Amino acid sequence: METKKVPAIEVRHLTVSYGARPALLDVSVAIEQDQLVGVIGPNGSGKSTFIKAILGFVKPDVGEILIGGEDVQKAKGQVAYVPQRGAVDWDFPITVQEVALMGRYQRTPWYRNVSPEDREAAMEALGMVRMTDFANRQIGQLSGGQQQRVFLARALAQGADILLLDEPFAGVDAATERAILEVLERAKSAGKTLVVVHHDLTTAAEYFDNLILLKQRLYAYGPPSAVLHEELLSQVYEGRLRVFANLMAKEGAR
Amino acid sequence: MSFLMQAFWAPLTETYFQKALIGGCAVALVSGVVGCLVVLRRMAFLGDALSHAMIAGVAGGYLAMKLLFGIEAHAPSMLLGSLLAAVLTVALIGLVSRVSRIKEDTAIGIMYTGVFALGVVVVSIFRQYIHIDLMHFIMGDILGVADSDLWASVLVCATVLSVLVLFFRHFQLATFDPVMAASTGLPVLLLDYALTSCVSLVVVSAVSMVGVILVVGLLITPAATAYLLSDRLDRMMGLAAVFGVTSVIGGLYLCVWLDSAGGGAVMLFCTLQFLVVLVVAPRYGLLARWLRMRRLVPQQVVEDVLITVLRQQRDTALPVLHQYVQVKQPGDLHKALRQMEQDGLISVSAQGYRLTEAGDKEARQVLRAHRLWESYLASIGTPREALHPTAHRLEHIRGDGTVDYLDEKLGQPKLDPHGQKIPPRQKNNNHHENEP
Repeated sequence: METKKVPAIEVRHLTVSYGARPALLDVSVAIEQDQLVGVIGPNGSGKSTFIKAILGFVKPDVGEILIGGEDVQKAKGQVAYVPQRGAVDWDFPITVQEVALMGRYQRTPWYRNVSPEDREAAMEALGMVRMTDFANRQIGQLSGGQQQRVFLARALAQGADILLLDEPFAGVDAATERAILEVLERAKSAGKTLVVVHHDLTTAAEYFDNLILLKQRLYAYGPPSAVLHEELLSQVYEGRLRVFANLMAKEGAR
Repeated sequence: MSFLMQAFWAPLTETYFQKALIGGCAVALVSGVVGCLVVLRRMAFLGDALSHAMIAGVAGGYLAMKLLFGIEAHAPSMLLGSLLAAVLTVALIGLVSRVSRIKEDTAIGIMYTGVFALGVVVVSIFRQYIHIDLMHFIMGDILGVADSDLWASVLVCATVLSVLVLFFRHFQLATFDPVMAASTGLPVLLLDYALTSCVSLVVVSAVSMVGVILVVGLLITPAATAYLLSDRLDRMMGLAAVFGVTSVIGGLYLCVWLDSAGGGAVMLFCTLQFLVVLVVAPRYGLLARWLRMRRLVPQQVVEDVLITVLRQQRDTALPVLHQYVQVKQPGDLHKALRQMEQDGLISVSAQGYRLTEAGDKEARQVLRAHRLWESYLASIGTPREALHPTAHRLEHIRGDGTVDYLDEKLGQPKLDPHGQKIPPRQKNNNHHENEP
């Protein structure tokens, strides 16, 4: 139908450094719309930096990032962000509903109050992640999976087409992981592009349409069958690959 | 009656008391509100630093006006000087912690004592020009509030309060989640500086009343008190303002009744207020915590009751339970029974306790765990007579697929070492899900 679709996120020759060490080196990748993309790589491979660069939160040394064809610094607010659970102060005096409402702040000018429509949109987003019943709870009183869902609701309430999630599956049980994944897939079918930092290689193939394999450099970008290659993984994960030997065997058997 | 009248009304007729009340309340109100953000951002130490650093600014402002224009104790320029000193200190702290390996808290400690020392040295060198009483500066003098101080504090109160109310959402978001705030285009750095300036303004106007040492208490104690009581930032700010005002009012009365130092009395009242709330706060207080712990029924007792009733295979009377169920504290069994009745695990009849359907299901799972543990213990060579008592202790370890692991490892046995049947696995046994 459409001849040329603008990629949701286009990263060109991105280099970000902390001192002499590059956190990311010459990463170029174009992420198409309506995709569930996983970002994988060992610890310290620049996954979080990659996410923060797309948010416009870290300044690249070289390279540019285009969000829907527009420079990232001009595209503020078009990318929604779900932080790592460890990065949130769960004792903060704030309720579930207020967190969701934060997603609407960028649409509200400073001299005006949050409108009833915004409140409705926030509640709707909470409904999408099935958290309406908890609207008046303080966020520290929720289980790990519920907390994750509240922040998903905030991202949905933002109305952004691109969602970035930093390790949403870290430290939740299998049932919760399923529930979160379900929400992600629903968001995808609603036309969102989701980029998810993920640490579990055993589930990566099953969850994502495409995978980005990072370790400072971009090692691969493509469908899981192409990325989860023994040769590539052994390059990136070096000696720690034995753990995945099993997985490789399973992949081969399919 | 007339005594009470005397105690409460008489001070109100005094001008010094009225001024102290107005100025103190204004300052305490706004410092409570801004203190909430200070507490939530863990900036308490910075507040302390700002109050100390301002003496250099006060001395600088005083000296500049005196030497340039010959004006004595020009309040606005001293205020401006202390603001400058505060901002400079913050900038120096940022610089040191960024460019060296020194961490931020250490950098704060170094810089504020340094700037404070500079102020002290300048004041003492130029003591024939500067008439600043260092003691007044350190201890404050809420009962001797000058009209100019009063105006300054009311002005500061109005300004800071307007900024915080107008940009409430911005401060809330930037405090709670700076990464998201930046990603939506909020000027996070600017907000940080705005907040620091607000804190400095409040600190500067509060120092003349409670002094350098106590001002940080006025900033964070009412906010911390409110933090124990509220789960929303706007309510926390409202409550903190109330606590700030009540500590000034209470402290001032304390001070006239006991004939004590004003600043000290205010902070003492403020701290007592905090301690009372710490004990009685409905959710986060010590009393509530203690009650929760007391009400907590040990899972072990519940499971012991279940398995005892199941083994009896009929309605079980209380004495039987007392015989088989071991408890640490005498009341635990009754507490457990009451809780289990509420949860629908057991029902009571004239003959004693009976398992409901849910209770029966749960009891069989405990029994399954018990017998599998026994089988496991037997398989690793535990003496036969130790099997039951050891398994009785271990049967409570059932989480995270423990029982299934044992089952698999032992080759899914049908009978335990005593030849009794091991109950089969229950499918939907995940009642722990979705609990906070």
